Amino acid sequence: MSRNVLKVENLTMQFGGVVAVHDLCMEINEGEIVALIGPNGAGKTTAFNCITSVYEPTNGRISFLNTVIAQNSPQKKMRNIYAGTLPGAFTDKTVRLTPDKVTKLGIARTFQNIRLFGSMTVLENVMTAMHLRRHSNVFTATLHLNRSEEKTMKQKALKLLETVGLLDVQDEIATSLPYGKQRLLEIARALATDPKLLLLDEPAAGMNPQETDELSAFIRRIKDQFKLTILVIEHHMNLVMEISDRIYVVDFGKLIAEGTPAEIQENPAVIAAYLGGEDE
Amino acid sequence: MKTKKKINAGTLWSALVVVLVYAGVFIAEQNLPSTSMLFTVLKKGATYALVAVSMNLLNGFTGLFSLGQAGFMLIGAYTYAIFTIPVADRLNVYQYYDGGLIQFAMPVIPALIVAGLAAALFAFLIGMPVLRLKSDYLAIATLGFAEILRAIFQWNKLGAVTNGSNILREFPTFNDFNIVNAEGEVVVYLSTLVPFLIAGVCIALIVMLINSTFGRSLRAIKDDEIAAEAMGINLFHHKQMSFCISSFFAGIGGAMLAMYQSTIQAKAFTSAMTYEILLIVVIGGIGSVTGSCISSFLFVACSEWWLRFLDQKQMIGNFEVPLLRNGFRLVVFSIIIMIVVLFFRQGIMGTKELPDLFRRKKNLKPEVKA
Amino acid sequence: MFNTVFPYLLTGISVGGQYALIAIGYTMVYGILRLINFAHGDVFMVAGIVMVYLNASGMPLWLSILLTLLITVVIGFTIERVAYKPLRTAPRMSIMISAIGVSYTLQNLVLYITGGLNQFYPKIPFISDSVTIFGVSTKMVTVVTPILTVILVVALVLLINHTKIGMAMRAVSKDFETSQLMGIKINNVISTTFIIGSFLAAVGSMLYFTNYNTVVQTSGAMPGLKAFVAAVFGGIGSIPGAVVGAFVIGICENIIKGLDIILFKAGITTQNLGLATFSDAFTFALLIIILIVKPTGLFGEKTTDKV
Repeated sequence: MSRNVLKVENLTMQFGGVVAVHDLCMEINEGEIVALIGPNGAGKTTAFNCITSVYEPTNGRISFLNTVIAQNSPQKKMRNIYAGTLPGAFTDKTVRLTPDKVTKLGIARTFQNIRLFGSMTVLENVMTAMHLRRHSNVFTATLHLNRSEEKTMKQKALKLLETVGLLDVQDEIATSLPYGKQRLLEIARALATDPKLLLLDEPAAGMNPQETDELSAFIRRIKDQFKLTILVIEHHMNLVMEISDRIYVVDFGKLIAEGTPAEIQENPAVIAAYLGGEDE
Repeated sequence: MKTKKKINAGTLWSALVVVLVYAGVFIAEQNLPSTSMLFTVLKKGATYALVAVSMNLLNGFTGLFSLGQAGFMLIGAYTYAIFTIPVADRLNVYQYYDGGLIQFAMPVIPALIVAGLAAALFAFLIGMPVLRLKSDYLAIATLGFAEILRAIFQWNKLGAVTNGSNILREFPTFNDFNIVNAEGEVVVYLSTLVPFLIAGVCIALIVMLINSTFGRSLRAIKDDEIAAEAMGINLFHHKQMSFCISSFFAGIGGAMLAMYQSTIQAKAFTSAMTYEILLIVVIGGIGSVTGSCISSFLFVACSEWWLRFLDQKQMIGNFEVPLLRNGFRLVVFSIIIMIVVLFFRQGIMGTKELPDLFRRKKNLKPEVKA
Repeated sequence: MFNTVFPYLLTGISVGGQYALIAIGYTMVYGILRLINFAHGDVFMVAGIVMVYLNASGMPLWLSILLTLLITVVIGFTIERVAYKPLRTAPRMSIMISAIGVSYTLQNLVLYITGGLNQFYPKIPFISDSVTIFGVSTKMVTVVTPILTVILVVALVLLINHTKIGMAMRAVSKDFETSQLMGIKINNVISTTFIIGSFLAAVGSMLYFTNYNTVVQTSGAMPGLKAFVAAVFGGIGSIPGAVVGAFVIGICENIIKGLDIILFKAGITTQNLGLATFSDAFTFALLIIILIVKPTGLFGEKTTDKV
């Protein structure tokens, strides 16, 4: 049995009265590719934002390689309007690492609505993501005493760009690239933080069919090359079924199914959620 | 390889331009009468250039909209003045406070550094609560802090140190850099070159910072805070650092302003001063150090010199030009500023720098839509 | 004790009412455009100058009051159309800079017109009269201000809650883009906001300058900043919040102005501490405290940024 990488327990995320994620439980093991799917607005990206600590969960616990990165239970006013049940009751203490700490621990992500650094070149985008492992401080950096570090950073960044096939556009402004290439750059940038777990938020969105076909092979390749565990949100079912070891399906924030691609394809609840089943 | 060569050529030409400017300043100073308006403009321009660049580091390169510059200049100016007034003059300056508390004087350069450090220390303390706020709240909170500082420095209970609401004077000014012979005649004029050197060194340091690994992190924060954080950049730490460094140089700028004016009073460091510097940054181009420098000199030259004629009656033949009287200069000036703000939002330089001007058009960074 | 504190309290309430009238302009504009309208304090000052000049021209007082209100409203409307509307799609920093530019322009324009000299504000009968309350002699304006403020605020709240344009304003402040899609004429709503804000600022200026007697080009800066702080303190975007905040700031500020005397008379201190220097600084200290403790202000709503 391989080691558990990410564990999400009873995650609930509520914005005022709106419950975006409801009592979600997930476990991801080392070396797996797991997909998180569901209709639009099902709370997938919100779950990502909780895992990367952009949001503070209303309730639940998220741990990464046995380190708790977020833990909370409904506080103050929220207690009155809290819609979920209170399983687990993580009341002992509230934990919330800042997003940069989470990244340092080894979780990297891409964004659904691409968020590249618009004033920088492709190469600079990747190099910026390496700063978290740098040893220079502001003084040595200002006096440019960290040249050798910069040089290794640059070489590593170039290598990453080669892996994703963007070496030829390294000096272009990142946001001037076509959509598909911007997505690849987002992945390269995430890889530059040296992650153990990679979260991909709709990597195939905006890609043409040919690019999408290449993407599944690409995801497998980087998984092996960088020894990654991958959690992916995707609407492209062919891609999902092709690459995933396991699939979690959410609808209206709730987990409705879990299993291998074959099991999920047969699952009546999933079919109902996607095709709109009869009202219960 | 090819691009690298071009960058070097750009840098080389830029270095040449800078050297020429300095040489020009030196030569002009030896040959023109020291009362020439040119030197007023150059001295004040160099001071404002440093402050504007320090503000640009925050607003243009880190994306923090801070309006506390006057406050940090105030700290710098006072720290410099307090530590450099000659002991012999203290009884005279602090006449209501028995010569004041401090009874020693520091040399100029260490005092400048102390002035910067004092401003940076305050920035560090202020930054802890304030930098966690969103952009417009940050603007108003820093503006507020500057006002509080102004009140504190005028408080008569601190008069033994700050001289209360009275002016501070007798500290070394730019004119004290001139080399004088035994008869008291000036042999070599340095009163303009020295402020240029001080501002030059400081701005060079800021440019080096911007072009370093650290500067890249700051630009990432400016482009997209959430993505920067997701890439492992600690937002608070970096903002704090940028805020302190900016304030350090604003403090030195404040000290230079004290040297330029030869007397200082806390009540002059109003939010209007911050606004002026902000407008300099905007005219130069938010995100361009070169732009801030050029526009500082333009701004000072226009307000102190070139547009002065608008404040006096002018005759063309027998025709008296209407509207011209005291204050018209500032009206014209405001209108120019509004035109820049509304129609030329890129300012003089956009985000381009001096070396970019020497590169072929093809290699220029495309204009980034903000 | 009461006799020492009461005059300061009275002035505080009065000044608070005047700040409230300015603060509403800030809070409404911020609610809709997310813009700190740095020029609002200067609009307030310009209203004062306009009144001075109209009155000097010899027209009857009632006419100059009416014209002052009208001209101020036109100025507020024009500023929005000229300086803010073209920047609607620009980054927020640009609009704020434009606002600072407008503030700079208005101040310089007034400097040019007046020559930088103090202008004496005309005496408006009735509110300039002296009156004695609980043994404290003061101007009538001190009593009129809070009453007038409350009446205007109630009228405004009714307008916002019960008219079509009020509903449109609420919609726009909730969601700028969506309300546009729903067919709300956004430019009309924004203009109305500026008109209401300027009108209240003009009323505020009449009360304020009757109290302080003189106007210069910088007269608007401090009251403007304080009114903005009041708006933030109450929760920016909330009208009742702005009013409450303004009264809190007005009262505290005036108590601090008199604190030395109050403490001395109460026998707590034996010498003058010079605390009055801090009456302006206090406002900003309050701002910073509220921003740290409750960044959304007293009545503000919490919002989460979408990622």
